[in-house]
Amino acid sequence: MSLFRSEEHVERWLRTQARDPGMSVPLAQVWALAKAWYTDPRSEDWRPRTRDESQAVLTSVGLTGDFWELPR
Amino acid sequence: MKNEIDTQIRVFVYDHLMAHGNPPAVAEIANHLSLTAGDAKARLVSLKIGKTILVHPDTGEVWMAGPFSASRTQYRVVGSRTSWWANCAWDMLGVAMIARESVRIDTHCTDCDDPWTMTAPTHAPPAQEGIVHFLLPARKWYEDIGFT
Repeated sequence: MSLFRSEEHVERWLRTQARDPGMSVPLAQVWALAKAWYTDPRSEDWRPRTRDESQAVLTSVGLTGDFWELPR
Repeated sequence: MKNEIDTQIRVFVYDHLMAHGNPPAVAEIANHLSLTAGDAKARLVSLKIGKTILVHPDTGEVWMAGPFSASRTQYRVVGSRTSWWANCAWDMLGVAMIARESVRIDTHCTDCDDPWTMTAPTHAPPAQEGIVHFLLPARKWYEDIGFT
């Protein structure tokens, strides 16, 4: 997950690196993802999320569709 | 008992990260929990769940403790007391959430290398615009977490 100034920079980098495009997400939406995804692992009650719980986090910040489907 | 020790390891790794900016060495984990180095390494491997703690395949030392990286990356996250390396653009924002404080991020555009400093608060997105590009679909994220 790499950071770019704009979609124009993404497209130029993909051409330069000869890589197939993935999915671009605005920085603000990724911030919302980080906020929902990362809970404090120092908590004694912390446990890894299940696949479905992680999928729900992605959905909660608008990341839906085949690209965002976690493995079953 | 196993779960209790695993919890103690996880909490110690992240406490160390918060205090020092880097994860503890296996020897420090072993010493802290009165384990042998071999037991500590084996326990660390058992924590390889999701994006929690991954050990380096060659050294057995902590390689990543999501969202932190044990080695230098493109994403330097500066807090009020220490600094960290984040694994990726998603994780650089995750550090603020774990640290529970507004952080400064020193990075650069992956395409043009233009230096880029932003503030990432815990209560609102960074003021600057930007794009995070996910090369791999979610179903492939955990196939090679180092590349991801």
